[in-house]
Amino acid sequence: MKKIKRMLKIHRIFMAQEFKRMMEYKGDFIVGVIGFFLVQLSNLMFLWIIFGQIPNLAGWSVNEVVFIYGLSLIPKGIDHFFFDNLWSIGYFTVRKGDFDKYLTRPVNTLFHVLVEKIQIDALGEFIMGVALVCASVPNLHTEWDVFRILAMIFMIPFITLIFTGVKTITASVAFWTKRSGNVIYMFYTFSEFAKYPATIYNRFVQNIITYIIPFALTSYFPALFILKGENPLFNLGMPVLASAVLMGTGVLVWHRGIRAYESAGS
Amino acid sequence: MMKRKLKIYLPFVNAGMQEVATYRVNWIFFMLGEALSCFVTYFIWAAVYSSGSKESMNGFTMPQMIVYIVLMFLTGTIIASDGAFVVGEEIRDGSIIMRMIKPVSYNATFLFQELGNKLPTEIAIAVPMIITVEIIRTVMSGMFEFNVLRLVLYILSCALAYLINFYFNICFGFIAFVIKYLWGANMMKNVIVGFLSGMVIPLSFLPEAIEKVFLFLPFSSLNYTPVMIYMGKYGGTELLYCVGLQIFWVLFFFGLSKLLWKASVKRLSAQGG
Repeated sequence: MKKIKRMLKIHRIFMAQEFKRMMEYKGDFIVGVIGFFLVQLSNLMFLWIIFGQIPNLAGWSVNEVVFIYGLSLIPKGIDHFFFDNLWSIGYFTVRKGDFDKYLTRPVNTLFHVLVEKIQIDALGEFIMGVALVCASVPNLHTEWDVFRILAMIFMIPFITLIFTGVKTITASVAFWTKRSGNVIYMFYTFSEFAKYPATIYNRFVQNIITYIIPFALTSYFPALFILKGENPLFNLGMPVLASAVLMGTGVLVWHRGIRAYESAGS
Repeated sequence: MMKRKLKIYLPFVNAGMQEVATYRVNWIFFMLGEALSCFVTYFIWAAVYSSGSKESMNGFTMPQMIVYIVLMFLTGTIIASDGAFVVGEEIRDGSIIMRMIKPVSYNATFLFQELGNKLPTEIAIAVPMIITVEIIRTVMSGMFEFNVLRLVLYILSCALAYLINFYFNICFGFIAFVIKYLWGANMMKNVIVGFLSGMVIPLSFLPEAIEKVFLFLPFSSLNYTPVMIYMGKYGGTELLYCVGLQIFWVLFFFGLSKLLWKASVKRLSAQGG
């Protein structure tokens, strides 16, 4: 208990530092948020144009597709907001020998890396996600009940950890290879598959994004339950299980990596 | 004169080649990531075509759409240029000053270094991808449509597109005088250019008035024109017009980059050193 309290305190101090830094560079903040907003906008234009040509996408209505798309952005945005620092581990920190600083401090290294920075750009994704979910909900033919709404909110932290877990595992590769930025990039790109209903992919891809790099669990399967009330055990249970497995593996691989880590640079 | 120039700039080509050899594995993972996005695009289009009743949409059949996706990906990697980032970074940390005191052209050193960076890798991807495109096309449409002339025109058009992109990115790099967050600025640029150049959706899917505007803008000269040429969508005068437009934009951005360079020499105040 005392340990958790201490961690929360450290977290708060780091956050305060980050906000100070952000206030210093307000222009950056606007550029980043608008940038990520535009990325999503461009994808939406794509959806909008193709739905002008077809009545539904493999049986999914435009509102359902927008709902799944929006739902995928919320946990992605949260992970991006809080745990973006893992990318720098993969791209620069280890390679430049800057990782040593974490080893000299009396905090768990992974915890330190995770809370050290926040990435305000992520608001572009998060706000867009919330907006899309809100915009699509009134037009969906879904019977809403308290349980579905609670399920949606309850799932978000777990789904966020699927993203963080994948990033932690792939970032740890840098401890052996010095540089793993593009390894993170490759695996993270699998989340692109989460934007659309998984039924549009073939069996092989479906299996990969459900069981191996399980980004279909981040939006499609929870949405199946929320929209249609199908199979709550699998649709909600699997994402929770996957987040535990991935984050657990992430923590293990990270600490293994630190043991293998040799400082680089001079 | 020519010989002297070559002697100055060839070492930059060499340096570029060595750079890419050092980070080969990293590069492979990056390309795999890019290819994944391509697969997502493929699946969404496959779903679109099987959900719609029409065989051809805005001039594209499903096999043509696949060819379009693969060629867009290939063209994108061929013409990719890092200039905006490098120039921006040098402006931000002041190392641009080193370029000013050296008796070589700033842009040319870059161009040759990047060419050295790209040549080996691009040839390594382009050949198998062109073969793949031809196999897909032959299998799906039942006809062998490979045309040497079109391939030659495609390569020529790609070269022009690369030069447009190169000088455009150099120009864009000067934005570092205004925006310090280069990564964000670059991302913004990439999204907008991606949409305007047909990376997201073929321009013929857009409303006609918008399509016309986009076709004139420099960005359709980047990916869209070479791909359309390879696919045989442009013939005769249209082809001449599009290549002419490409040449115009090369000259335009070349001129603009020179102007910006002159202006920045006046504006620059580097600290420290």
